[in-house]
Amino acid sequence: MKKVLRTLAATAITVGLSSAAMAEAPKTVTVGYLNLVNAQLVTKSLGLVQKEMPGVEVKYIKVGGGGDMLRAIAADQVDFGGLGNPPTAIGVTRGLPMKGIMVLNMLDYVEAMAVRTSANIKSFKDLAGKTLAAPFGSTTHYLLLKALADEGIDPASMKILDLRPNDIALAWSRGDIDAAWFWEPNLNKAVKDGGNIFMTSGIMASRGYPTWDVGVVMNEFAEKHPDYVEKFVKAECAGIDYWLNNPTKTAAIIAKELELSLEDATRMMKGTEMVPCSEQLTGQYLGTSKTKAQSGFVETLLSTSSFLVEQDRLPKQLSREDYADFMRPSYLEAVLK
Amino acid sequence: MKDMQSTDVASVRFQRPSWLKAPSHVALLSSGSVAVMFIAWVVVTETGLANELFLPGPVAVFDSFIKVATKGYQGATLLEHVGVSLSRIMAGFILACLVGIPLGVAMAVSRSAKAIFNPFIEFYRPLPPLGLYTLLVMWLGIGEESKLALLFLAGLPGIIIATIQAVTNIDPIYIRAARSLGASRRQLLFQVYLPGAGPIILTGMRISLGFTYTVLVAAEIVAATAGIGWMIWDAAKFLLSDVVIMGLIVLGLTGVLLDAAMRFAGGLIMPWTRHGNS
Repeated sequence: MKKVLRTLAATAITVGLSSAAMAEAPKTVTVGYLNLVNAQLVTKSLGLVQKEMPGVEVKYIKVGGGGDMLRAIAADQVDFGGLGNPPTAIGVTRGLPMKGIMVLNMLDYVEAMAVRTSANIKSFKDLAGKTLAAPFGSTTHYLLLKALADEGIDPASMKILDLRPNDIALAWSRGDIDAAWFWEPNLNKAVKDGGNIFMTSGIMASRGYPTWDVGVVMNEFAEKHPDYVEKFVKAECAGIDYWLNNPTKTAAIIAKELELSLEDATRMMKGTEMVPCSEQLTGQYLGTSKTKAQSGFVETLLSTSSFLVEQDRLPKQLSREDYADFMRPSYLEAVLK
Repeated sequence: MKDMQSTDVASVRFQRPSWLKAPSHVALLSSGSVAVMFIAWVVVTETGLANELFLPGPVAVFDSFIKVATKGYQGATLLEHVGVSLSRIMAGFILACLVGIPLGVAMAVSRSAKAIFNPFIEFYRPLPPLGLYTLLVMWLGIGEESKLALLFLAGLPGIIIATIQAVTNIDPIYIRAARSLGASRRQLLFQVYLPGAGPIILTGMRISLGFTYTVLVAAEIVAATAGIGWMIWDAAKFLLSDVVIMGLIVLGLTGVLLDAAMRFAGGLIMPWTRHGNS
């Protein structure tokens, strides 16, 4: 009987202790990461987040694209996630409970428009009457329509199809489409198979349409564990530094994580721009807590959401302040202090 | 004893009027359950129990219905979306019937035919449509052919299996009787097999139509620019849940209407089935 009582008491103490600890540290941290090339793969592979959070179970979930990530966030299945600017604009405008905390990557030629060489497309005007593809709702669909609008070309003069990247590669190899704006690793298959690069997302960035992926945290997690958001940012910053300082080792990590050849991994790395954390607080990217309303990222969110409203895919646009409220550089500021 | 029997018959006869009233009783229960569901929807959304983002209220869904019906969604009105999808479904379904019913009769009548075709049907039947679809897109491209093929393949096995079942269930006495009276193979088919198997084949067709519906969204994910399945898929990407729910309701209603039409047509062609099963 005594033994039973002792066991009970011990159990009660353990339960009590663990519930006390739960108030400070999360039991698990779930990181949803996008199926693309950026330093999050380095952070994951080297276990940097885990190193910052001893005793916490860090789980990684690979998410196919922005749409799936939005659903994962809406369903509260992740604590941290990553989103391109169109899904971010959708999520913020529709009031998803999340905050943007850091720049994951800027998109350069890792996303590009491939055209079939035999289709003889030399300018956007040559696209008239052709069949194009882009994953609707993605960064590249946004850039395609922006580019057409800038050139004064009616998108109705061509056939634009909604295809996922792997389906684009398939349709390309069958000859069903003449051009597609999408991303690696499938992009390279199209280029090798009778295509050439006509426009890249990097060129569009220099024309004033940057596209990027932003790291987000769920509101509930950030309120409960603000210190763990800082730990997460710190780990990701370390990953970015590793990427910038060890390109060869990074390529090997990416090749392993995404099951690519070393050659493909290296090319994709070069097509993706990583921003060191020390530069992320400049006006071009996040800005600081004081200047964020005028930052490049808020600017992009504004132009992306107004584009989506025009497209009839968002019911309304929010104010600059609302998009600025979504951006929270404060965690990064604390890390950099 | 005789008395007992006569009262039994009498009571059955007496119950007839109340049995005739049964449809209204059924209708009452059905509309009641729909009303309860609807009220639950209103309550959950009005009180803020449900997040508006995932479950918009009936008003928002109705508004989106009006908007899509009049202004359209991404370049096509609701009627056009429904029209495109229904023509795809009907094409796939009719094709499945045209192939499935004769094949089913052949497989029921001839053991060799069954031995030849059964392995393929049994193998592909449980395959997930999306897995199959990747292959269909590889072979047939991203146009209408692959969509039609997917809808056709989704509808086919149900019809074949129901037809085999139906023909096997026909009492052999009918066949022997017809044969002894000198019926030709053709007469046997059209005057014994098909009428005898008709009711179960019709049930199989109704189930098959349901299967065709289940793959519609999958079929319209790849490179469609119109169709109610595509509209649902596209709206979901932009978190437009009012359009998603509206699309699902419209899709469901077309299914109910098509099913009712099939039952009605079945009653006309096979008047002896009008009472009883439904």
